[in-house]
Amino acid sequence: MNGRKGIDPQTSCREDVALESLMDLDKGRMSRLVFQHPGLYERELERIFARCWLFVAHESQIPKAGDYVTTYMGQDNVIIVRQKDGGIKGFLNSCPHRGNKVCFADAGNARQFICNYHGWSFAIDGRLKGMHASEAFDSTGFDFEGHGLHPVARIDSYRGLVFATLDDRAPDLADYLGDMRYYLDAVFDMDDEGTEFVGGCVKSVIRCNWKLAAENFVGDALHAGWTHDSGARAMVGEGVDDLHKSPERSYQVNFNGHGWEFNQDIIGNCASLGDKELVKYLYAMQPRVAERLDDFRSRMIGSISSCTIFPNTSFLAGQNTFRTWHPRGPQEIELHVWTFVNKSAPPEIKERWRKGSMLTFSPSGVFEMDDGENWEYATRTNDGYVTRRQDLYIGLGRHTRVHDTSLPGNVYQGQVNEANQRAFYQRWLDLMGAAVWSDVPRRDVPTEAAV
Amino acid sequence: MTQSVLEVGKSELAPEGISRVDSPEGFIAVYELDGAYYATQDGCTHARASLSEGEILEGELIECPVHGGTFHIPSGRAVGFPCKTPLRTYEVVDTGRTLLIHLERQAAATASDGETNTNGA
Repeated sequence: MNGRKGIDPQTSCREDVALESLMDLDKGRMSRLVFQHPGLYERELERIFARCWLFVAHESQIPKAGDYVTTYMGQDNVIIVRQKDGGIKGFLNSCPHRGNKVCFADAGNARQFICNYHGWSFAIDGRLKGMHASEAFDSTGFDFEGHGLHPVARIDSYRGLVFATLDDRAPDLADYLGDMRYYLDAVFDMDDEGTEFVGGCVKSVIRCNWKLAAENFVGDALHAGWTHDSGARAMVGEGVDDLHKSPERSYQVNFNGHGWEFNQDIIGNCASLGDKELVKYLYAMQPRVAERLDDFRSRMIGSISSCTIFPNTSFLAGQNTFRTWHPRGPQEIELHVWTFVNKSAPPEIKERWRKGSMLTFSPSGVFEMDDGENWEYATRTNDGYVTRRQDLYIGLGRHTRVHDTSLPGNVYQGQVNEANQRAFYQRWLDLMGAAVWSDVPRRDVPTEAAV
Repeated sequence: MTQSVLEVGKSELAPEGISRVDSPEGFIAVYELDGAYYATQDGCTHARASLSEGEILEGELIECPVHGGTFHIPSGRAVGFPCKTPLRTYEVVDTGRTLLIHLERQAAATASDGETNTNGA
């Protein structure tokens, strides 16, 4: 980039964009084309969504053989189904005959998936079992073995969270999550029983670029005090704390594009639900988590925080909302939201969390509506031909790296920061520029402490 | 006559209620419903499928494992989409320790001609 205007002003949405011209993160600048350019979006489908490990289910959603959920990996619709041997498999939700969808439900239990079009029938392990008018196929020497549902490349889980990748050259999930596992345990491994999803999946459409949502959860504590002031007053009668005035109590950590901004206040996020019973529950859990993990992580269990697992899955400790931002083109997402709870929590606590998360982070939730409007306009303004050629600032907290720490990952002081957002876009740029996994720069390597 | 009767030891039957046995007539599905035994052709009349891999549903129905169509086990009647043609049934005589499956006789409850799927599915 040269000076303030880094983007070639001649660049049109129909032309290829030079990736290196899109960002100068050390200077805290990035191009708006990242949120608007159709060619970049196509490349994201290839190099981000058809390559990364993506969240596809929680183990608790599919306990029995034949239990399934359908979801998206990028724009690829997939079926995730529990097998008779207890394993989990995933398949493209599309018949290999003439391409129709084979499963129309969001979740359920099936003995087989039958295509509506010509009656091709697939076992829960993806094998083609038979079809309508099978005699006609038999007489043409049809190869049954070669026409099952197309499987995902790999599927694996961590602490109940099931991830899949469509690229068989991807690193192992443990390597992909890396040092984030250390922090994920603070929420998903508070005790031996772990977490579960309660209630169903709430879906909505937001007309925003998927990265605006993901970058918000990866590190944007800054917006809370401004955007959510009225929402916080509505829920608990007072505004959000001035987080930037006490950076010594909070952090940002990131690893290969995953990021978590968090306070050490134990219950800050949870308190925004306005339910004292939930705050009491977390205060009672905290010493037990301190004993199981450590004091530092026990102070994250419901604190003011947000996290994104690269590329498009996010959650909030304490508010217990878990979500995936599925891309639908450069200017739209389909948002899938669930509520998670500790499996061991009393039933009335689980119920309070389900209601609390719906009040705040459902399509009609007070905080979700605040965010959605911001992201829609941050997307839509880039329709402007001249507007989209103006860079954006992403430079907050450039000198806050903590070097002398035993904490895993890249650690920054103060949650009001844009260090995680920069790391998110660095990972995005690394992936977009690499033709195969082995070409992706290995910036962050898992440390012993995270295993 | 003896060649047309298949003798099957009950101890050879699967505990789940449906077994597949080989016969000169081809594979036969043998069902146990509340202590009573029935036999039909194993192959689905709609498309290639082994009914003995299916599941017994309420109402003495066998559900095909491939398309989920159903037949009434005692009569062989085609009940649910996409099944239209009834199953061949076989008379079963329970001798206590074994079953005698008469390959040339139909079960007493067998659907009469013309009584096929009437659910219009």
